[in-house]
Amino acid sequence: MSDPTADLLPEGLADRLPRAAAAATRAMRAALDAMDAHGYDRVRPPLIEFEKSMAMRMDGVQPRRMFRFVDPSSLRTLALRSDITVQVGRIAATSMADAPRPLRLCYAGEVAVIRADQLDPARQRLQIGAELIGSDSVAAAAEVVALAVESAEAAGGRNISVDFTLPDLVDTLAATSLPLAPEQVDAVRRELDAKDAGGLKEAGGEAYLPLLYATGPFEAAIDKLAGLDAGGALASRIEGLRQVAARLGSMARLTLDPTERHGFEYQSWFGFTLYAEGVRGALGRGGTYSIRGPEEPATGFSLYVDALVDAAGEGEARDVLYLPLGHDPQVAARLRAIGWRTVAQLGEGEDPRALGCSHMLQGIDPVAL
Amino acid sequence: MNTAAQPPLTFAIPKGRILEEALPVMARAGVVPEAAFHDKDNRSLTFATTRDDMRLIRVRAFDVATFVAHGAAQVGIVGSDVIEEFDYSDLYAPVDLDIGHCRLSVAEPVGGAAPVDSYSHVRVATKYPNLTRRHFERQGVQAECVKLNGAMEIAPSLGLCGRIVDLVSTGRTLKDNGLVETSVIVQISARLIVNRAALKTDPRVAALVEAFRADAQAREAA
Repeated sequence: MSDPTADLLPEGLADRLPRAAAAATRAMRAALDAMDAHGYDRVRPPLIEFEKSMAMRMDGVQPRRMFRFVDPSSLRTLALRSDITVQVGRIAATSMADAPRPLRLCYAGEVAVIRADQLDPARQRLQIGAELIGSDSVAAAAEVVALAVESAEAAGGRNISVDFTLPDLVDTLAATSLPLAPEQVDAVRRELDAKDAGGLKEAGGEAYLPLLYATGPFEAAIDKLAGLDAGGALASRIEGLRQVAARLGSMARLTLDPTERHGFEYQSWFGFTLYAEGVRGALGRGGTYSIRGPEEPATGFSLYVDALVDAAGEGEARDVLYLPLGHDPQVAARLRAIGWRTVAQLGEGEDPRALGCSHMLQGIDPVAL
Repeated sequence: MNTAAQPPLTFAIPKGRILEEALPVMARAGVVPEAAFHDKDNRSLTFATTRDDMRLIRVRAFDVATFVAHGAAQVGIVGSDVIEEFDYSDLYAPVDLDIGHCRLSVAEPVGGAAPVDSYSHVRVATKYPNLTRRHFERQGVQAECVKLNGAMEIAPSLGLCGRIVDLVSTGRTLKDNGLVETSVIVQISARLIVNRAALKTDPRVAALVEAFRADAQAREAA
């Protein structure tokens, strides 16, 4: 091989070598176990679907961000999934339309986007999540946030912090107590999103300025938000947030940012973002939304655990038992059954330590090397 | 959260234009650099402050936004031109510091733009290709941007482009180079910027935002 570019991987795609692959597998299994324990059934939708069905289930899903190509058999456009949530929405609206509600489903799998974010070059990510279909009530939101925190912790997240938001806040206020012209709404939302006080004034959203200050640790911020809610248009939302926060108690540090819109393309009244210590950027997000078609309410979340795997670093070395030539296979099988990990000798001249072994089988006993 | 184990905060400030005006504002919010910072001969890029848990880095304005957006610095000060140009999703600009005022404008030779420009296509020299492209797009004009890092003013006379987009404060440089300002794209002022995740997970960042905001409001009221 003389061409060094022949094995180049495309930008934003990478191999996970044994240590990192093991960490990712552990994180995925632990998170799925936590969801399973709370009664969420796993589903496995396909990697590729018709573009149309991926695009229609939720507002704000952009097929432009997906890898797309023509299906040689149907001649229709196919898309590689960029978000499993929409596939779960399709399942709930079609094959499981008659399943009793609330329907609890979870999933884990790889997703890909055709162009990476500005700040995160990865184009493939491991998405793990759970969806509670049939309800977007306060009780559903509380269950889902608590499960998200528990799953993130199981996957290895430490010092989890949860940031609440009200994704439809601007729409609600613009229609009631703080009227905006329809053409102003987008600009105001954009400046609120960037927390740009100067830009907000220019966009004609001066009345929305106090919302920028109702941000921070939950208790103080929710009181500020309640103080701003002159017309009472937000009363039910504020009460809902308080109940969700009460349910979480001391599980995580809670903050409120009522105007956050980043990553909440299809959420309705409630959204949240998870952060963990040592992880740059968000670990996951979720909220309430509506599945288009049946217009069914739902609540769910997704974790992107690659950041955790990167932050976990080396991880602990595991005990490995070296099985020399001529060992008793039944002894080895028994030791594996009680949890030993074994590596069998294939030929002469091997160095067990170089192969990562910590112990050697002598007779019927593992002996430390 | 264990405060003792927290890593130091990094505060990014730009070289040049905004710095002089920013220092007093920072001082009122409790961010005071060590004496070496004011030493013109000091080539260091990192400086201690009077706070044990904070250091300053002095970098180019565009790099302030990049450091903060990636979370390598948690807080910074930069002109809104840079914020708009990058449009980073992980950057918040919660406080308008009301300093470093200027405007981003389109300018062309006094005698009109060169014939490289047509009705629906212009060639523009600028440090701000994204802002420029968006500005012309809104008018249904396709802007072909030539990215320059300085001395934009000479580009039209040498035939590199028909017009330029650059920061204007007094208009003096334009005039001296035979250019005239034809339209203002956006008014600029310096902003306090913070990393989104840092604001949400580190109470010290939120406290800094409050300090800068209180100072800005006090100045506005005065």
